Amino acid sequence: MSLVIRKSTVEILCAAKWIFRRDCRLLSTLPEKTEIVVDEKERIPGRKTRSYNPILENRHVYPEFLPDPNPNWRNSLREKMERADMLKRRSQIDIPEFYVGSILAVTISDPHAQGKTNRFVGICIERKGCGLRAEFTLRNVVDHQGIEVRYELYDPTIQSIQVLRLEKRLDDKLLYLRDALPEYCTFPLDMDPEILPEGTPVPINPVQVKLKPRPWLERWERQELKGVSNIEEHLKEKDRVRRELRKTPWEKYDLMKNYRKTIPAEEQSEIWNEVYNQLQQMRVSRKKMSRKRTVTTPKTQLA
Amino acid sequence: MATSNMKLLCSVLNKMRIDHITTRSINSPPRFRPPYWYLPKERVMSDEMLTQENKDFLEEVKQDKLNLQNTLESPLIKSETQETLQWTPGTRRTGLIARKIGNYPLWSKDGKKFQTTLLQVVDNHVIKYIPPEEFKPMKTSKVVWKEKRKLGCLLVGSETIDPSTVTKEYCGLFNTVGMLPKRHLCRFMVSPQASLPTGTPLFATHFRVGDYVDVRAKTMDRGFQGVMKRWGFKGMPASHGVTKTHRRPGNIGAGGEKARVWPGTKMPGHMGNRWRTLRGVKILRINTKHNILWMLGVAIPGETGAMCYLFDTVLPLKKLKTPPPFPTHPPADDLPLEYYDDSIHLFEEPTITFEES
Repeated sequence: MSLVIRKSTVEILCAAKWIFRRDCRLLSTLPEKTEIVVDEKERIPGRKTRSYNPILENRHVYPEFLPDPNPNWRNSLREKMERADMLKRRSQIDIPEFYVGSILAVTISDPHAQGKTNRFVGICIERKGCGLRAEFTLRNVVDHQGIEVRYELYDPTIQSIQVLRLEKRLDDKLLYLRDALPEYCTFPLDMDPEILPEGTPVPINPVQVKLKPRPWLERWERQELKGVSNIEEHLKEKDRVRRELRKTPWEKYDLMKNYRKTIPAEEQSEIWNEVYNQLQQMRVSRKKMSRKRTVTTPKTQLA
Repeated sequence: MATSNMKLLCSVLNKMRIDHITTRSINSPPRFRPPYWYLPKERVMSDEMLTQENKDFLEEVKQDKLNLQNTLESPLIKSETQETLQWTPGTRRTGLIARKIGNYPLWSKDGKKFQTTLLQVVDNHVIKYIPPEEFKPMKTSKVVWKEKRKLGCLLVGSETIDPSTVTKEYCGLFNTVGMLPKRHLCRFMVSPQASLPTGTPLFATHFRVGDYVDVRAKTMDRGFQGVMKRWGFKGMPASHGVTKTHRRPGNIGAGGEKARVWPGTKMPGHMGNRWRTLRGVKILRINTKHNILWMLGVAIPGETGAMCYLFDTVLPLKKLKTPPPFPTHPPADDLPLEYYDDSIHLFEEPTITFEES
């Protein structure tokens, strides 16, 4: 009985935490998980609703255009030059929208490879860095051996980045896949791309992975992961106690910390106003190109 | 009685000497005597109780001066005599004052990644030239100024500031040559033929892509640090019975004859905030519109936003081989926006591919 009560209280706490976190994270680049519509309905009518700015939504699609929020490293001119260079590179290669948890295929030119190109398929487990330093990590299991490759997004040796399956996962980083059973990050290298119908929101994959028994690379139990199902099986009483001791539940109320972690909305809208038009044009032209290609390919086959 | 007393007093007074005054010993000259053109810059800000009209008037005067300076043409364009000057490997050109604005990567044509530091040359102007005959450098006891007779002193300022924020004396330094005061002032020793007239603007194109420069700047201030951070000592093990000596230096000397701390022993102390010169830094890319230089490497001292001074390098193998813009690059409107080193891949160029050999 007491167990049940505890469980239910924990759930309520979790829900409360979610609502709070969503409020704090309005401007973070972390992907949003809960649906917005429900939130709008639940809102108290007296409270002022935050104006929805569509241009700010770009921060999820192009997170690397926002600079590092550390004020010691900021310089408006440097950031401007960096963005201009990023746009120049993007005019040469199509860098698609993808998230942590999406499955990508990356082709790079490699002077040591046979045929001078190298293709790798894997799940994106981490995406970090801003500006030209943006990078992402792909993970796959090839011949029972886990492989991770870190690519730089604006590296000119990257020939193409193809999204095979566009989806998000429950966590911001999937580094725990290193300690999970290999079937969760095994993907065939000849995987076919799955095309989502236009206009659909990016689906969230609610799969919960199973971790291998300890030893682990990190203390996953302390990270409040939502994408792991069997973490309690491997814990001892000692670990549970220490997890409780290490918890920092006050941090979600630390407005200053949150402010320091994010770029203010005014600065963001300035940045997006600068780059949005070009990005949109590129997107439209790519779409046209891809449509043309689909039309022309059968003709060439016939010929 | 009175006369004898008077005589006694006179004899005592006669014996008194006033020339026995202890003065500063000549053996210890002042450690630092600033050059004569150096004048205190910082000023205590006080409320001057100005009326709004007076404030407006001051603002107007300031704007007028600024506009006048902005419209000022470079003296290099007018004078044709500069064209006849020839650069020789022995001559020393002026340097530049730049600001470190961050770093980001560039890629070479063979796909290699280069980390670069961006330096912005902000609003550099020649303030004054002091020919070698008139130039009297700071007197020091140790260093003999070898080039006293050969090199002149060129004062270069960077970043125009509001004259009311600095002292009158500092402003006077600029007023005498008809310029507005600058935030940073630096002395460059130049050959007489490389001298420049007052008011000449200096640009990033003073250097060329592929040249090597020396960068002088103040390192990051790290405060009082232990030996592990300051000198890279190994420290001692974290466990295996070690107590209380995990980050300590350990032994600092032997006994016997050497039973003392030898001068120069590496010890804890203040780290950083020192002038350091990084020599032979290559320029990979130049933006002529914003006057930005992309320098190879991230070892340029100082944090983002720090000032640094750029010189032609003195390293014998990296010295200038072909004549650079001499005495400096004249202002021109028809320059390309960006110069790139030959090895650098342009971001607007297509993806790098390797040919099968």
